[in-house]
Order: sequence, then structure tokens, then C-alpha cells
Amino acid sequence: MDIQYIGEQLLWGKIGNLLVFTAFTAALLSAISYFFSLRTDDKSWRKLARQAFAIHTISITGIFALLFYLILNHRFEYVYVWEHSNTIMPLKYILSCFWEGQEGSFLLWMFWHCALGWVIIATAGEWENGVMFVISLVQIFLASMILGVVILGYKMGNNPFVLLRDHPDFANLPFIKMPDYLSKIKDGRGLNPLLQNYWMTIHPPTLFLGFASTVIPFAFAIAGLMRKKFTEWIKPAMPWTFFGVMILGTGILMGAAWAYESLSFGGFWAWDPVENASLVPWMTMVGLAHVMLIFKHRKRSILSNFILAIVTFFFILYSTFLTRSGILGNSSVHAFTDLGMSGHLIIYMFFFVALSAYLLIKNYKALKETHEEEHLSSREFWMFIGMLVLVIGCLQITFTTSLPVFNKLFSLNLAAPVDAIDHYNKWQVPVAIFICLLIGVGQYFKYKKTEWKEFRKKITLSLMLSLLVTGLSAFYLGEYRVHYYILFFASTFAVIANASYIFTVLKGKLGNSGASIAHIGIGLILMGALISNSKKEVISRNLKNVDLGKDMPNKENIMIEQKVDTLPMGNYYVTYSKRETQGVNVLFNIEYFQLNPQTGVKEKQFELKPFVQLNDRMGNVAEPATKHFLTKDIYTHITYAEIEKPQSRHTEDEHEEEYQPAKNQMLAIGDTFITSNSFVILRSLKKDLDRNDFQLNDSDLIVGADLMIQDINKKIYESLPVFVIKNFSIYTKSTSVDELGLKFEFSKIDPATGKIELSVSEKKSNKADFIVMKAIIFPGINILWIGCLLMIIGSVVAIRKRVIQNMNSGNSTEK
Amino acid sequence: MKKTHILGIVIIAIAIAAILSTLADSSTYASFSVAEAEPSKTFHVVGKLNKEKPQEYNPHVDADLFSFFLVDNEGKEKQVQLHKAKPQDFEKSEQIVVIGKMNEGNFVASDILMKCPSKYNNSSEDMKAVTSQR
Repeated sequence: MDIQYIGEQLLWGKIGNLLVFTAFTAALLSAISYFFSLRTDDKSWRKLARQAFAIHTISITGIFALLFYLILNHRFEYVYVWEHSNTIMPLKYILSCFWEGQEGSFLLWMFWHCALGWVIIATAGEWENGVMFVISLVQIFLASMILGVVILGYKMGNNPFVLLRDHPDFANLPFIKMPDYLSKIKDGRGLNPLLQNYWMTIHPPTLFLGFASTVIPFAFAIAGLMRKKFTEWIKPAMPWTFFGVMILGTGILMGAAWAYESLSFGGFWAWDPVENASLVPWMTMVGLAHVMLIFKHRKRSILSNFILAIVTFFFILYSTFLTRSGILGNSSVHAFTDLGMSGHLIIYMFFFVALSAYLLIKNYKALKETHEEEHLSSREFWMFIGMLVLVIGCLQITFTTSLPVFNKLFSLNLAAPVDAIDHYNKWQVPVAIFICLLIGVGQYFKYKKTEWKEFRKKITLSLMLSLLVTGLSAFYLGEYRVHYYILFFASTFAVIANASYIFTVLKGKLGNSGASIAHIGIGLILMGALISNSKKEVISRNLKNVDLGKDMPNKENIMIEQKVDTLPMGNYYVTYSKRETQGVNVLFNIEYFQLNPQTGVKEKQFELKPFVQLNDRMGNVAEPATKHFLTKDIYTHITYAEIEKPQSRHTEDEHEEEYQPAKNQMLAIGDTFITSNSFVILRSLKKDLDRNDFQLNDSDLIVGADLMIQDINKKIYESLPVFVIKNFSIYTKSTSVDELGLKFEFSKIDPATGKIELSVSEKKSNKADFIVMKAIIFPGINILWIGCLLMIIGSVVAIRKRVIQNMNSGNSTEK
Repeated sequence: MKKTHILGIVIIAIAIAAILSTLADSSTYASFSVAEAEPSKTFHVVGKLNKEKPQEYNPHVDADLFSFFLVDNEGKEKQVQLHKAKPQDFEKSEQIVVIGKMNEGNFVASDILMKCPSKYNNSSEDMKAVTSQR
């Protein structure tokens, strides 16, 4: 059956498919050629290899450009475009469409490998063959993830240029038979609202550049094993390792910033499996950078260099497997969809593990070192210990994160710890304490051996100062767990000792103080994380609640009625003034007031506009708003709001408006009751009413309820509903106060008690708009962000120094 | 004994401790009947929302209490009292995981995870909707 579909542009897809296959084949050719170039040292092989890699790069870039073009032009005949974009999306989020889907993020990753590959070709010299062989191998695997061909009944990868009507999910749907189906598709599915955030336009590319950078030390290590140059690879790989530490670290921190700004869990780190999956390789890469330094100065720890380079890359593959195989399922907020790639990913992982293991075992004898042990007072000894502490931290994180994998492997039923943060902190706080102490003392140790006396002399001042600061901090920190005080001390020490190192030992030469600056950064990050987490204060205390104990914090959300409530929260008084709709967002104006003690007036300090993004398909998403101060942040998040607000139900004719179900009140004279907007007092019962109105006889009864109504602005209204018994039948004449939307009916008299029953109805619009919100103060969060900046700056300085040293080819004579 | 050997032993010891602590801290996916048998222990219960039965959320009284009926994977139904605000788009959830313990016939939950079908992988549902709009 041949249907002539209307309006499709199929040429682009054909070009795209051609490029995908070219990219794959060129990577294959490049790997083979580099392999022979490595074996034979024949220049013509290398020429071929470079050409193949060039074609590969052009194809990947072409795929990128083509996909971009299709998204920009809303070519919804392509599944990828339809799934990840729509027509109302602002231009700035179009790039984000790339990383929402698996195919696009693989493309991005491959693109970075290409870019880094060309830097290697330009700079690596004799290492080009080996390193580029490994990179090309990796590219073969990545390119196979977007091939989308079926081989022996197994579908390999997912092609980004699949047509909507060819997608297996839609195989039997009626639209396939409609020639004009394209004109019926009004719009694409659009981007997940969580990704529509500026951090999401820069976090994924940075993180993927970090991922891509781990392949280079790995490729150098494998090349070193293949060329049997077991130590020479370390020096050229070193600047790359520092580069990776910086970029991957920046990427992770950007993710943390995104979580802090736009996710609802209230914090920058939640030990989410996906976060862990990128943190672990960063930690092993930091370990690698330090054993590389050990090698540089002492020509030892060669095996550790190999193992850490390989392990770092392995963890990148493992994290890819965790996030993309769908195995995390319910346990993570931002794992990718399962596209049936787990088998493929496992093969990918095992191929590189097997390759590394084979080469390591084959060369094990040559890698064994025999030399005297490190001295206890040597810098290399403590750097090695620091690396081990990091590895221990990684082991614990990896183990807990891998619970879903163990469930699958051993068919268990384990779920993540109920208090995950507590579980991780139990382990990672001691790790952080050790790391901070080592960061503090590290540089005061000399390579080989240090005079203890001199060491003590240099370190004492920093130690005393840190103790003093910790002692003083007790006034602020107050009652606190002991290990938090220890971490506070350790991080303070890391900062002070490194700062003093810059001034006393390096004499303020910033070009040489990359390590110290980065270490100060790490110290500040941990200090900021400690303070903001342990001293965070939920000020939206819900006091209407039963205490369920420490395990069930159920006092964190508070309800505010629009214009009615002014609730005390911490030092503030908070009101909810209005809501407004801007495009797909509903913004809630939350105003914070503070009491001026002189005048006794509540003065407005600032307002925040947390919002809810409406998204029919993926569900509404609430996004917090945060007020930043120098010493603290105030985080405000809407946890519940009725999106179909009552006000919108206003009809043209006010009288037509429906009342809410009536509520009955039993009242004696003088009693008061409350409606949503006023107080009502039954002042008296009036019997001297004009009987003629109802043509009553003497035996009949007439009573009026004299009501005084006071609204929130203290304005007084009066109302007189009437109760009549005429010829033994009951009649009532209800009254209403239109200004307040109230209706009163005098419905009963209890002769025994003299009480009356008043049935009160309120208009639906009277139901005040309300929200349920959460407000948290994060103190000291800026310490963390300053730390992040310093860590990045320090790494850049350190990379610069390494690159300059390597350029001066080997005659580096560092102390 | 060399320092490296001591270090090796220390690392292995810590690794074992990490594994044991993870196993000790980890919770278990279970059904209501298992949770009922061990009321002192916290469980993850997976199930579906019973949309027929009432959900109660009355922030005027308590903004941190939301109750609904959940049918677990064995078909057993319990009322869940979640001590949190009512989650956004609760009704749209396809699968729910509640974390907590049994108490007097109700499941008292401290946390909830929801899987919304619409977030991913229901492209065919969406397409059906598209093509039925004539």
C-alpha cells in the first residue's frame, strides 16, 4: 500500500540517515587506521585515519545542524522533533531539546569527543595514534547508539531521524492511513517543564564536556599499555586530567544550582542516583590527578595511575548505564526513558573493561614496582591516603546507588534508605572531614620527607586560628552534633591553612597557587554545604498539627488565604496578595513584611513570585522563588494551589451565581459566628414587625433575627431575616448582604432553649483563594557558591601551569 | 607487615562496613500485608490510586495531611495518610510508591513518589488524541 503523504519533507531525513551511517563507518575506519598506524608507524595509515576522523566529525556536526534545522522549522513528521519540541517554545530552549532525548545527548557527547579529538591530533605528537585509536573505538560505540538498524532481530540504537509514521509505537494507529495526517498534528509534545530553565541550557553541555574529557586520560593509559610506555603517558595526560576535574566539577555544580533554583526538594544536593553517578567519576578523577602528581615528583604509584584512569572512565560508562537503561525506574527524578538499550550499554561497558583488564594483566609484571616505602612525613604518602579516602567515599556512594542493579541481578526487593540524606551523610561527613584535614596539611609536607619540627612550626598558626574560629562559631552555630563541629573545624582549617600557604610559602605568587586556591574552594564548598544544610530553618511552621516525631516532619507546609492571612514566619510576616497568569505560568505574589519596632508598623521588605507552570501533558510543575541576601537565602515554594481558582467562575450576572451549600448555626441572643469574610452577631429577636406584610392573624407568629455583620474592614452591615408561622405552616423570608455575598435564612426556633437556627449561605466566590506554601531559610549558602568559583579558578590556574610546564618540554624544576 | 598491606585491610574493612550499613539502612518494597505484619518497620509500598474512593485534603485544618486509598500490587486496599501537602497533579499518577508504616489499619506515609504516565512513553496515547481531533 503506497500512500502519498502530503506536506512531508523527507529529503532531510534521508540526508540525516546518510550522515548517521557515515559517522559510524568513518569512526570504524578511523579506529582501524589508527590501529595500523600504531602498529606499523606508517604515515599513510595515519593520514587515512585523520581523514576518516575528519569525515566523522563533519557527519556528527552535520547531524547536529540538521536536527537543529528540523526542530526550528517544526518538522513534526520526525518523531524526535515531535517528542521534544513544540511551536510555542521560546528560541532559547530549542537547544535544550537536544539533551532531553537520549539520541540528542549521545550526539552532544560525541560532538565533544570530536572537538577534544582534534586538540589531541594537534598537540599529542607521538601519542596521537594510540589515544585517537581509543577515542575512535569509543565513537564507534556511541555512534552505534544512534544507528537504529536491526541486526539479527536486535535493534541497535535509536535513530534521531525516524519518521513519526514509521515509529513502532504508532504502528497500528489510524493516522498512518491518512495522507494528510501532518496537517492534523497541531503541535509537538514540547519540552519537559523542568528543563525550561536557563541552567538547563548550559548544565548539560558542560557536564557532557566533563564526561567527554574523562576519555582522554583513559585513552592515554590504554595507549601507554599498548605501546609499553608505562610511565611516559602520564605527563601529557596530566593537564587533561586537571581539565576534566574542572569541567566535570563545574557541570556537577551547575546541576546543583539548577536543583537549588528550580526543583522542589529544597536544597542543592539530594544524593539522587543521577547526581551520584556524575559525582563518583569526578571523585576518582580527583584521585587520579593526585596520583599523577605523585608520579611526577617521585616516579611511583604507576599502577594506581592506570587503575584510576580506567576506573574513572568505567564510572562514566556505568553512570551512562544507570541513567539510560531505565534500571533506576522510580528511584530518580531525572533518569532518561528506557529505550531498550540496556543490552547495548552492557556490551559497551564490558568491552572497555575487558580491554583494560586484558592489557593490565598482560603487562602486570612490568608494572610492579619495587622501591622503599613512602616516609610517613612525605607528601606523596598523604596524597595517596587522600586518594584512598576518596575511593572509599566512592565505594559507599556506588553501593547504595546500585541497589536497583542488585535487585535485578539477585532478584531482591531492596528500596533506597528511607532517610537517604542521613544515610549518605553518615558516611560522607567523615570522608569530608578527612579530606579537609588532608587538604589543610597536604602542601606543608614535602615530597620524600619533611622535618617534623618545621612542619609543626608552619602549621601551628593555622591550627590555632581554625580552633579559634570554630570556638567563636559556637555562638552562632549553637547546639550542634559533634561531628558537624569537627567538619566545621576541618573545613575552616582547610581554608586557613591553604590561604596561609599562598602568603607564607608561595609569597603570594598566584600563578603557582592553583592547588591552594582550588583547595580553599573545596573547603568553602564543604563549609557552605554544612552550614546551609544543618542550620536551614523551615519557617513555614504548620502549628495545626499533631507531632509525629522526628521521623515524620509534618510541620513544613502552611496555608495562606489570599488577602486574609498575615502569618508570622521566622522574623517575617507573610501574606499572599494576588495571583496572575503569564503565558503558561501562574505566578503567586508572596509578600514578606517585617515589624518595625519603633513604629510598630509591619513594613514590606520584599516579594517573591514562585509559580506553577501549567502543562497538561506532563503535569503542572511548581517552581520555587528565592530571595538572595548576602548571608542567607529565603526559599519559597508553592506546595499546593487550586489552579482552577474560584474567581474565574464569576458569571456575567452576579445574581445567577451559585451559593455554596448552606451551613446551619444554632444561636442564642448575643452569640457570634464567623463566615469567610465577616463576624455575625445575633443582637436580638424582634417580634414587633409589621404583621400586615404577611397578612397574619393574631394567632400567627412572626419573629425577626436582628443580625449585625462586621466585615474585615470593620464596616457594619445589618440584616433581618424573618421567621413566620401562619396557619400552622412555616414560612421564611431570607435576606442577603450582597456586598459580602452572604444569605441568611431564619429556619427554626427551639422553644425549649430559646435558640434559633440560622442557615447561612455564602457565594462561591467568597471562598478565598488560598495556597499552601513552604518557606526555608538557607544560611551561608553564598559560602558554597564562592567556594565553587574558587575551585574553578584554582583549577584553571593549575591547568595553565601544567600546560606551560609541558610546553617548556620537561625542564620543569618545581621545588 | 608493610604499610600497603595494612591499608589494604583497612579499605576492605571499610568497604564491608559500607555494604552492611547500606543493607541495614535500606528499606524494602513490600505489600500492605507485609507492612501490617511488621508495624514497627518502614516499607515502600507500590500501588495504584483508587479513584472511586474519596481523597481528603483540607488545608484549612491541616496543610500537612492528605489521605487517599491505595490498592497495592496484591490488590489489597488501605487508606494512606500522607503527612505532606497534596502533590501536584496527584490524580494523574499511574503508579504510586508510599514510604511509611502501618498504624491502626491505616498506612502512615512520610513520603510519596509518583510515576506519571504522561511524562514519558505514552506517545501512542498522545497520537490517538491527535488523530481523533477531526
